[in-house]
Amino acid sequence: MSDILHKATVGAIGVGLAAALSMATPAGAGTVPESTDPIKIAINEWTGQHITAHVAGEILKRMGYNVEYVTAGYYPQLTAMEDNSVTAALEIWSSNIGEGYGKALATGNVEEIGDLGLVPVETWMYPAYVEEMCPGLPNWEALNACAEIFATPETFPKGRFLDYPADWGTTNVDRIAALGLNFVSVPAGSEGALVAEIKSAVARQEPLLIQFWKPHWVHANIDMKIVALPAYAEGCYDDPSWGLNPDATYDCDWERGYIKKMIWSGMKDKWPAAYRLLQNYTLTNEDQNPMMKAIDVDSEDLVEVVSEWVDANEARWRPWVEDAMK
Amino acid sequence: MIATNAVSALESAFHRRNYDPSLAVWLVTGVAVVALFALRGQYDWVTKLPEELVIPLEAWLNAFMDLFVASFKWLFRAISGLLEWPMNGLQALLHWLPWPATIAGSVVVAHLAGGWRLAVFTLCTLMYMVIVGYWDESMNTLALVGMAVPLSVAVGLFAGILDFSYRPAKSVIQPTLDLMQTVPAFAYLIPVLLLFGFGPVVGLVAATLYACPPMVRNVSLGLQRVPVDIVESAKMSGCTDRQLLWWVRLPAAMPTIMIGVNQTIMCALSMVIIAAIIGGFGDIGWEVLSTMRRAQFGQSLLAGLVIVLIAMNFDRISRGLTSRQRVSQARTGTLWQRHAHLWVALVAIMVAVALAQVLPELHDYPKAWIFYPAAVVNDAVTWFTANYFFATSAIKSWTLFYFLLPIRIGLENSVTPHFWGFALNLWISLGYAAAVAGLALWVDRATSWRGAVAVLITGGLFYFGTTGTPWAVFILVVTVTAFRVGGWRVGVFALGGLCFMLFTGIWERAMLSVYLCGTAVLIAFLAGGLLGIWAARNDRVSAFLRPINDTLQTIPLYVFLIPIIMVFLVGEFSALLAVIAYAIVPAIRYTEHGIRHVPAETVEAARAMGCTPRQLLWQVQLPLALPEIMLGLNQTIMLGLAMLVIAALVGTLGLGQMIYIALTAADFGKGAVAGLGIALIAMITDRILQSWSARKKVELGLA
Repeated sequence: MSDILHKATVGAIGVGLAAALSMATPAGAGTVPESTDPIKIAINEWTGQHITAHVAGEILKRMGYNVEYVTAGYYPQLTAMEDNSVTAALEIWSSNIGEGYGKALATGNVEEIGDLGLVPVETWMYPAYVEEMCPGLPNWEALNACAEIFATPETFPKGRFLDYPADWGTTNVDRIAALGLNFVSVPAGSEGALVAEIKSAVARQEPLLIQFWKPHWVHANIDMKIVALPAYAEGCYDDPSWGLNPDATYDCDWERGYIKKMIWSGMKDKWPAAYRLLQNYTLTNEDQNPMMKAIDVDSEDLVEVVSEWVDANEARWRPWVEDAMK
Repeated sequence: MIATNAVSALESAFHRRNYDPSLAVWLVTGVAVVALFALRGQYDWVTKLPEELVIPLEAWLNAFMDLFVASFKWLFRAISGLLEWPMNGLQALLHWLPWPATIAGSVVVAHLAGGWRLAVFTLCTLMYMVIVGYWDESMNTLALVGMAVPLSVAVGLFAGILDFSYRPAKSVIQPTLDLMQTVPAFAYLIPVLLLFGFGPVVGLVAATLYACPPMVRNVSLGLQRVPVDIVESAKMSGCTDRQLLWWVRLPAAMPTIMIGVNQTIMCALSMVIIAAIIGGFGDIGWEVLSTMRRAQFGQSLLAGLVIVLIAMNFDRISRGLTSRQRVSQARTGTLWQRHAHLWVALVAIMVAVALAQVLPELHDYPKAWIFYPAAVVNDAVTWFTANYFFATSAIKSWTLFYFLLPIRIGLENSVTPHFWGFALNLWISLGYAAAVAGLALWVDRATSWRGAVAVLITGGLFYFGTTGTPWAVFILVVTVTAFRVGGWRVGVFALGGLCFMLFTGIWERAMLSVYLCGTAVLIAFLAGGLLGIWAARNDRVSAFLRPINDTLQTIPLYVFLIPIIMVFLVGEFSALLAVIAYAIVPAIRYTEHGIRHVPAETVEAARAMGCTPRQLLWQVQLPLALPEIMLGLNQTIMLGLAMLVIAALVGTLGLGQMIYIALTAADFGKGAVAGLGIALIAMITDRILQSWSARKKVELGLA
């Protein structure tokens, strides 16, 4: 992490110099880069996002653009894109965008440019060893029989279900009731709290049932299994008669979300080719996972890992660049 | 039940003594409380204010803010652009300087301020940043603080002079300062974010605002305290008003003003760290926050220590320079002698810059040399969790069931056979009521009826719980207490504040915060008080506690959330511990300070009269230290409330969580209402305690 920041800050200072140098060789019409101003890519708090941002940045750099990485909070980056304080935020999770997303789009200064291609899975999970303690898992129907092993003094005799923070908009309270499960939802306060609970449970080899998501770097270290809930289908969330429980909504798994790329609207005039490249840009779970493992488990340097990936996958991104240059 | 007993207890007290008007007030209150409890079954409004009476203040504030931002955004963005220039310059300078140059310069300043000891300490601090690999992040933080402090000092100086010299301004400035110092720092960020946009300038503006109040207060106080004879003699020698201020008053007030500067530096640093939540700068606060989000305790501890060390250095150096300034006024000598430090610093920096041209290691500390022992720390926490969880979870359950739950939902709802071994029935309730009444009677006999009233209120609270007590009862009891202790002004203030929380619809959240913060403060105050007493009587304990206190007060407390959660899991108990960790510091410090500063002759006299050590403590030292101790309690409450927002990261549901949600959604109305709620809780308790303490002072003959 400190390396990225280091690079970011050194980069920030280097920008002035780089800009001054490239001013000497004015770019003609139709050539790249159209402007030597830095394209600012947002860096959020999780490793997967760092990879997404740096892969895009690396490709842009190889095209000849001046790229700067800016650390940004999840909501503030949306405001920041309104005036090009941040040019692009490339990993916006549909499940976690809230009101700020709509507000930012409504200004007309921020634009959404398609899905990144990562497939997020948000659902109930447990560390793999729990299967030995609660036979019948991953089937959700097994949960009631072993609710007590998940119980803590606060929730006894019900099982404890560690939920998303209250402000993330979770539907698990309804889900637990609809599925008739003998569990209590306990909201965690932050991502750190969720991860710390997983680490703690694994250290103690104790049961844990948690609302969590993939891709996430935790999975590189810890084998987390997914509870097989009744599959989501249209109608489950708003039609009580749908599904197992005829009187309740949410008697099914979470709906699968998607991950968007967003940019400052002015980008398409200022850097047309870069804009098209980001439109074409995709990254999948299979791309991200090994890089995440290399960084978080094997403590390799993020910039090097990304640069190796970009070297090795030229076949993937070369067509995007060619399309963008047309 | 309890209240009936309350009435009978008070009646007996009433008969025994002569008519006491305040007792009558409490009797009436007691009757009203009983009536309200009797009504709560029949009428919902006693426990829950009808929805239609709630004022949509949040929406109004948001509408106002939207309009304000739309009209004045250009102005604030222009200021933001203006501030960006010098800041980027300072940042670039700090990054350009090779690290040995910065270190050399800092060490010379430290030597100037505090001699060799401080110089060595500063050297170690900066070397730590280099070796752990946080140099760049630290320089970013320094750039922010370096910009915020002069701005804050300038604004503070101006407002302080205005406050002192222009009466009408005082009536605006003083309440503003009260508000600024009680609204949690996180709540500041929302309007600043909306107005100034994104990036480091937001942190700069927030830090400048946040760090102002201590400067304003100290400037104003210092000017007031300038001895009359100095001012008189200046007037006699024909000073104009302007000369009087700049050449006489301000220099004479300098020692107090410098205390303000010291506090401003500390406040700016803490706000810069908090502002990292917005991002945009890659400073050390961001590092702490993002490692916390990844639950990497070792990493966030290493980054957090950088902040502790920076804070300690700032503190010692600024204090050292202050005290030095007072002695150095009449110095003579050659140019070299007078400015030896300056010359040494300049030469050292130039040598370092020159060397760095040849040796690149001096410019960028090589990665291979970085020593980063985070994994060791993480392994230790994991090991502890795996081996001692059974013990920690027993402590947690015990506290939760016999202490926390009763205070929150009351014995009424928390006594269950599973943990207590029996269910609550009418007879047990009656037995409890009788026990409380008996205790009240005993206290009444032993001390005064006031103690008995306190016992009854506590007993009732424990039975019905903070959240189970109807709002009307809560408002009534607090208002009457405020009125009796502090007179009608404090009473009206308390009533107004509580009504604000009721009618803006944040009552339930506020009660959760009162509960969490109240229990944490209680524990912190008792434990801190005991530690403070111990430290006052034993120099070794004192020396041991001091660095721990410094660390707890300056380290961003996100750092400790991760191990707390790993050991105690998500829940109230973890939040409680986090709040206590922060709030305990003033309780320790003020108690120790208070006891140590009891005049030596008084202690000697008491000893000579044959006091045992216990008598000395209880009859002499503690009563005389009471004003200090009460100040400590006041600070404990303030810090406890400030910590609520950070405790929300563990998963609490009170006002702290509300501010946190408002911050992530940039919802100004929500953040402002919740922030005001916390500020009001702080101010109401503050006023009541101050009045009580002032009264005690008079009784003890200290004032």
